[in-house]
Amino acid sequence: MKRRIAILFGLAIFAAVASLRAETDEEVEAHKLVLDLTGAFSNDGFKLRDGHWTGTIKPQERALIAVNLYAGNQYWFSAAANAKAKKISVTVYDENGKPVVTETYNSGNKASAGFSPTSSGQYFVSLGLLEGEPTTFCLVYSYK
Amino acid sequence: MIFRARFGTIAFFLGTTIAFAAEPAPISSEQLAKAIKTDSLTIPTPGELFAALEKPGKPDWAGQYRTPIPMTYRNRAQIALNLGGLIADGFIAVEAQDSQQVKNTGTDIIKLAKALAVSENVLSRGNSISEFAENSEWDALQEELEATQNEVKASMQSHSDQDLVILVSLGGWIRGTQVVSASIMKNYDERSAKVLRQPAVINFIHSKMNEIGAELRNEPLIKTVSDQLSALEKLVTFQPGKAPSLEEVRKVNQAVSKLMGEIQKKTDAK
Repeated sequence: MKRRIAILFGLAIFAAVASLRAETDEEVEAHKLVLDLTGAFSNDGFKLRDGHWTGTIKPQERALIAVNLYAGNQYWFSAAANAKAKKISVTVYDENGKPVVTETYNSGNKASAGFSPTSSGQYFVSLGLLEGEPTTFCLVYSYK
Repeated sequence: MIFRARFGTIAFFLGTTIAFAAEPAPISSEQLAKAIKTDSLTIPTPGELFAALEKPGKPDWAGQYRTPIPMTYRNRAQIALNLGGLIADGFIAVEAQDSQQVKNTGTDIIKLAKALAVSENVLSRGNSISEFAENSEWDALQEELEATQNEVKASMQSHSDQDLVILVSLGGWIRGTQVVSASIMKNYDERSAKVLRQPAVINFIHSKMNEIGAELRNEPLIKTVSDQLSALEKLVTFQPGKAPSLEEVRKVNQAVSKLMGEIQKKTDAK
């Protein structure tokens, strides 16, 4: 019992430390790369949301995040991965997991998908590593 | 259609062509259930909500101001909830392009943030807000408000106040929804009313509130707010793509106004 409590306590400490940890150099680099990409959208009046999601991804794997969007707004979801990634993709799904028709931009380790939802609610943004080695990515979004 | 027309410009800036994606395979509900949900991307900001509301026509933002709330709360959870509400007020003042109101709200945000002993970084944001308001830099102000909210949350996390983070988001969502539903009631338009469909936001916030420490979760205000979230989730669950009726909007407004009243009510509880 005591051992179980100790393990749980250890896991809780680990989780707390993990949530507070500083970003790694790879995450900072991926974040910088994606911010370079979103400049094009800012020039077109899109506002960049002050928040990002970083993680690691392996080939043929998918990283998935839930977002909540408003009908009437236009959105661009952008992602960048470090140089070890040769080709990535960004795909958007509706709340039932059905793919949404998007405009896409792909350039090696950078990709974006944009659309204007007709229904407000939950959507899912998927990042895929199509070619390359396991790597760190960063995803952001812009809206107007 | 408008979105596609804009693509020429985007493609120009990206220096490349933009393709229309081939349809990928659907994702199973099991996979969707495993999707990451984070406070920083899964919960929309008041700015996003207000941007959508403005599409059919600019609302009377100044008509949505409220009388100043007390600055002397002693309960940390109540301060966090009201801080979120005040940040939403800041976005309203920015939409109204009202420099003085932005400055007043900015001052109140900093006062409440100080009561939570947040970092110096947050306090310096107050000066930036005043400066941008003085120069009518509305886009910069919106970014500054978002950054202030994130800075407050980061500071809470580093001070082991993680449980308060979700309360800031919740306060902002309730105040934003109160303003939007009131605005739709004044001038009903189906396109505007569609923005109220957000059951997953409440569901996520509710699940995060169930994770907070037992002591905080059992505080009367938190219990009251948490108990009302399930009913609120049902009120904002409309069919996809279908706009709620005026009566449905009124019900949402009544529910969030009641909650907002509880949140800003000054009590002597610690």
